[in-house]
Amino acid sequence: MSRVARLAVAVLQIAAVLAAVFTLTAVLPGDTAIVIAGEHATDEQVAALRERLQLDRPAHERFLDWTGGLLHGDFGTSLLTGEPVADQLARGVATTALLTILTLTLVIPLALGIGMASGMRQGSRTDRALSSVAVLLNSVPEFALGLLLIGLLCVQAGWLPATAAGLSGWSLASEPAVLVLPVAVLVSKQLCALARQVRIGVAEATCAEYAIHARLLGLPERTVLARHVLPNAVRPAVQQLARTVDGLLGGVVVVEALFALPGLGSAFVDAVKARDLPAVQGYALVFAATTVAINLLADLAARRLVPQREMVA
Amino acid sequence: MTVESSWSRRRVLGTALAAAASIAAVPGCGGTGAGSDNRIRAAFPTGGSGESLDPHISSLFVDQARAKALFDTLVGYDSEMRSVPRLAVSWEPDPTGTRWLIRLRRARFHDGRPVTAKDVLYSYRRIAEAATASPARPYFTEVDFTASRARSATELELVLRAPNFEFASAWGAPGAEIIPAGTTKFRAPVGSGPFQLASFQPGQSTVVKKFDGYWAGAPNPAEVEFVSINEEAARVSALLSGQVHYANDVSANSASQLHREQRTGVLAAKHGTMQAVAFKIDRRPFSDPRVLRAVLLGVDRQQLLDVALSGQGQLGNDLFGKGLKYYPDALPQRRRDVDRARSLLREAGAERLTFELNTSAVDPYFESAASLIAEQLGELGIRVSPRVGPSETYFSDIESSGVAGHTRTSSLPIATFLGQRMRGGADINNYTGYQSDGFDSLFDRALRTQDESRRAELLADAQRLIRDDSGMLVWGFSNWNVGISSELRGMRAAPPNSLHWARFDHASLG
Repeated sequence: MSRVARLAVAVLQIAAVLAAVFTLTAVLPGDTAIVIAGEHATDEQVAALRERLQLDRPAHERFLDWTGGLLHGDFGTSLLTGEPVADQLARGVATTALLTILTLTLVIPLALGIGMASGMRQGSRTDRALSSVAVLLNSVPEFALGLLLIGLLCVQAGWLPATAAGLSGWSLASEPAVLVLPVAVLVSKQLCALARQVRIGVAEATCAEYAIHARLLGLPERTVLARHVLPNAVRPAVQQLARTVDGLLGGVVVVEALFALPGLGSAFVDAVKARDLPAVQGYALVFAATTVAINLLADLAARRLVPQREMVA
Repeated sequence: MTVESSWSRRRVLGTALAAAASIAAVPGCGGTGAGSDNRIRAAFPTGGSGESLDPHISSLFVDQARAKALFDTLVGYDSEMRSVPRLAVSWEPDPTGTRWLIRLRRARFHDGRPVTAKDVLYSYRRIAEAATASPARPYFTEVDFTASRARSATELELVLRAPNFEFASAWGAPGAEIIPAGTTKFRAPVGSGPFQLASFQPGQSTVVKKFDGYWAGAPNPAEVEFVSINEEAARVSALLSGQVHYANDVSANSASQLHREQRTGVLAAKHGTMQAVAFKIDRRPFSDPRVLRAVLLGVDRQQLLDVALSGQGQLGNDLFGKGLKYYPDALPQRRRDVDRARSLLREAGAERLTFELNTSAVDPYFESAASLIAEQLGELGIRVSPRVGPSETYFSDIESSGVAGHTRTSSLPIATFLGQRMRGGADINNYTGYQSDGFDSLFDRALRTQDESRRAELLADAQRLIRDDSGMLVWGFSNWNVGISSELRGMRAAPPNSLHWARFDHASLG
């Protein structure tokens, strides 16, 4: 598929996500007027709010308006706060970016190290121990793992703060202790799949014909590993890394809620709860575009890492 | 569905946290503490970036708590929801109950201006306007603002279109705060409360600092910070680790854990929240009074209290307001009577009755109560299917759809509750579709009656009617639990909406 065609598919994917998110949010019971008016509002109050927020207009008209604005770089205005959605996105992006970048900075070298150590000694004690720990961590949901760590390290030991309450954005970086547990939970959850992918790749590539051939030609093991085994082993892992980023975007929603981090994930949840369609669309667009872009980059990186003729089937 | 299977994720994980906390034998030192700089940190669930400091449109508990810090009301509610003086020092209605004379105390706003009768009139007029969309609006729609006037700076005359000797109870309602006349913007609002605004980041943090000119004396703490922690488990862990001093709204399960810890405690307000099921009597099957009666007799309220509320609450008797002024204590407790319930179902030809019971995670007790009610009514041959709806719009959804649903109400003056939920023509949260000329007539007579003991009798009669006919099954009252640090002193257990709930000006750290 040509690059232009891939790009077109990516744009179509994002458009499909936006249409699906809009439809699903629109069919949820209730609307922003009900949420704003609160538990004890009269029908009259809800109707007045609905008119003011233009919620009485057909849903497809509002969607088309929002899409039209997007083409001019306008993300729309939040129904709940009346402020531009772009400003809300800008507020949350720092927290989520910080969490994601820190997690990836730790996950990638850890997964490579664990995957290689296991893959090169397949079936050994080290392999079994590392795999068991990774699977164990992967099998505990983020919420439960977070609570367990909070109970032990924050409540009992008093080593770390339990939440980031009151902090936001880049100011979190000034109190790095509040990020330790959220990042640890995200790393634990994402490490397993990536490390296992590297392990499988390394195990297969070590025994592949081209590696055997290279050894027969007398190349030192270190060169075989660096030039032939690793690139082939890492290629599927690069695509797994893209999926890791997808998983991270889901994980931050849980982690942000548990540690009271005001990022895109918790703001997205707030927007859905408030049925704030323009804001929901804004967050969905950021999440969808990030996912599609990361997957595109992963494809490109995988192609560059290994020429087609040497790829493992 | 069994009771065990209805344990929510939060409840199970809350237990996990409790277990994790108890693993280590040595108590911790409190993490990065909330600080001892005379700033109280209080954790609340908040409304995200949509938060506003406009006290008249407050709908969440954090809005109420902030409004209480920054503003004041004419009266406050004591623990029985009786009106006690705040900005108003005295008030009296004329013999017709339509003209109220209110005398204000000498108080000042944070910018030094005095609080005057004109400010009160401006505030109430703004609340009564439909465009403001205030939850307190229904209390003030009967005020004739063209006839009402400021007699002097500290004397106000409010004129009503219909007699109401209970009108004073409206002035302490959430959303009835007094703002300076002419206020239209609330980014940095000026009030007359014990604290003035220092900073406000919607959905994250609000800091207020003490106002030395407060009429009741300068508050104890230098500052209070309201921080946003929406997850209940996160509020509890923030409290346990010493990050915050106050965690609003914690479940019965977490309250037990906080009780056991040395560093924390719980302020448990009894009768905090009415727990009920509303059956719609304007449609089948509950339009048949025999079916309604059978369901009311088929439920074991004691078991619901013991299991769904873990015993932390009070037994309900199908009426709102236990422990509050005007509650008819003399009525016998309604008990389960399976034989009578079965015979009523037979009479009505409804032995194979099936219905959906709306429930939601909006309240921590709804889902387990729904499972238990399904089991209890299942013993009568009734098939009840709990149906879990989305939290955000749950109360609006059950108002218009379904035949039965869990509901709850925080403490309010009983007359306010009856006027809003049961009186014909009121369109707020009448979840059962109850309309009764007999009730309306008794209730209206009560409001027109100047003599308080006679008014109490009439209100008791009106409540007797709704206990049998209105379609409300009030099975219990859950405690309102607030978790506090052992450092925090001077706070009292009080139900939400009342004067002493979230009252930080009397609190201190030490």
